[in-house]
Amino acid sequence: MTIAPAPARARGAVLWSALALPWAVARLGFRRQFAYPQAALWGLITNTFFGVLRVAVLLALFGTRPQVAGYTAQDAITYTGLTQAFIMALSLFGWTDFMRTVHRGEVAADLLRPLNLLGFWAAQDAGRAAGQLVLRGLPMLLLFEGLWGVVWPAGALAWVQTVLSVGLAWACGFLFRFLVNCAAFWSPDAAGFGRFAWALLGLGCGFLMPLAFFPDWFQAWLSWTPFPAMLNTVVEVWVGVRTGAAAWSALGVQAAWALALGLVTAFTLHRGLRRLEVAGG
Amino acid sequence: MGRWVASAGHLGRLYLRLLGAQVRSQGAYRGALVLDALGTLLITAAEFAALALVLPRFGGLGGWTLGEICLLYGLAELSFVLMDLLFGGFDAPNLSAHVRAGTFSTFLLRPVPLVVQVFGSDFALRRVARIGLAGAILAYGLAHTAHAWTAADAGLLLGCVLGLICFFGGLFVVGGTLTFWTVDSVEAMNVLTYGGRTLISYPMGIYGEALRKTFTYLIPAAFLSYFPVLHLLGRPLPDGLPPAAAFLSPLVGPTVLALAFAFWRVGVRRYQGTGT
Repeated sequence: MTIAPAPARARGAVLWSALALPWAVARLGFRRQFAYPQAALWGLITNTFFGVLRVAVLLALFGTRPQVAGYTAQDAITYTGLTQAFIMALSLFGWTDFMRTVHRGEVAADLLRPLNLLGFWAAQDAGRAAGQLVLRGLPMLLLFEGLWGVVWPAGALAWVQTVLSVGLAWACGFLFRFLVNCAAFWSPDAAGFGRFAWALLGLGCGFLMPLAFFPDWFQAWLSWTPFPAMLNTVVEVWVGVRTGAAAWSALGVQAAWALALGLVTAFTLHRGLRRLEVAGG
Repeated sequence: MGRWVASAGHLGRLYLRLLGAQVRSQGAYRGALVLDALGTLLITAAEFAALALVLPRFGGLGGWTLGEICLLYGLAELSFVLMDLLFGGFDAPNLSAHVRAGTFSTFLLRPVPLVVQVFGSDFALRRVARIGLAGAILAYGLAHTAHAWTAADAGLLLGCVLGLICFFGGLFVVGGTLTFWTVDSVEAMNVLTYGGRTLISYPMGIYGEALRKTFTYLIPAAFLSYFPVLHLLGRPLPDGLPPAAAFLSPLVGPTVLALAFAFWRVGVRRYQGTGT
């Protein structure tokens, strides 16, 4: 019996079939977020309450100062709204989904899929992030707009740069989270290791305070880490602390970190999979 | 009286045995425990570091220095960690897991008082490290405020810690009780417990009137640490409240806890199990 060669296809069709699968995975990841609307509503209420507290602290810090480190009080409110809006979309409090599939052995089934494992998870997480952005992010921003008024990106160029920055922040964040989850290949205590990583992420990405408010030595230190690329850059481009060429160079740094993290994560995953042993059942 | 003491001693020994079992099981993997403890510690440390690092640029927070804020921050954190160690079993996520899995019904079948079992059902040893950090923050506050500390002040602060433990413990008990009816309450209670802890970590004058009054008269959180600290720093209480209001912490906290346990008893009577 002979196997017939696949019929030759146009280049566009090949590209399309290569993207169809990740697209389908991403779409399902997106739709899954809307399964429990009530839980999302409670989450939104909790995020709003903490948002109110954080705004109060920032406004009290500002006092009567019109501007601190490039931020106006209105920028600081916008910063709080943005960071609260991105908690779920960018998984700022941590993410252990991949770790769990390694510990439970479910990763073996994922490896059978006709998709690169990292690509499969990236597609799924992109869909999840987009879903959370719609479900939790947008309502949060609109709430902040209603309560205090927020600053929006000024002009078409700023919008393009902001959208690119959000995409790159997701890429950096996802690759970092995935890298941390790869610890599961080496240790059954990967969750404890993760706690370290999430705490560092919270401080370093500018979730707890805008990085521009930190002492210079601390900012210089952080600029050697990928953490600012995971959230702080988005805020600075959005509120206009960085505009034009300064914004482009910030996007370049984000892209460079995404590339570096991509290489390290792909390599670590490769090494991890070589160690993987799944008990049959 | 003698019988009462004997039975209290018996329950205390039971509780300690339950704790001992958990300490042994969590201590079995020493490396994992240390890693977990440091990780939990780092989360609080990062939160506090963010505040301490930016404060010099602003000079203060609503007229409060870092040392003064540390009194509030340290009291809130210390009490919350101690409370979490004691009342962890009542925390809604833990209890709700027992209710959904049906294992809560086994608690009811055992010849040991229910409350003792729940108290002894979740003792997270990894939180112990946070006590040290919270104590250090409080100590920094005590050392960096212009105040000559006396024994009476120590008594007032001790009353704050006890009041706060009872208050947050009460909130955990209410949250746990709600899981008999619904599993959705978990996030809602987080607003009061974790949100409340964050709220009282800062001088409450920075919040809007509505928020401050809600957490003074509706939920009496302000009596537990904010008013006593205002009194210690020689600042007037808001709303023209008499100075005596600064000493109510050891009264307000246990009252909240007593009400919470009354609610708990109603909940346990209504509990029907999951049929598993």
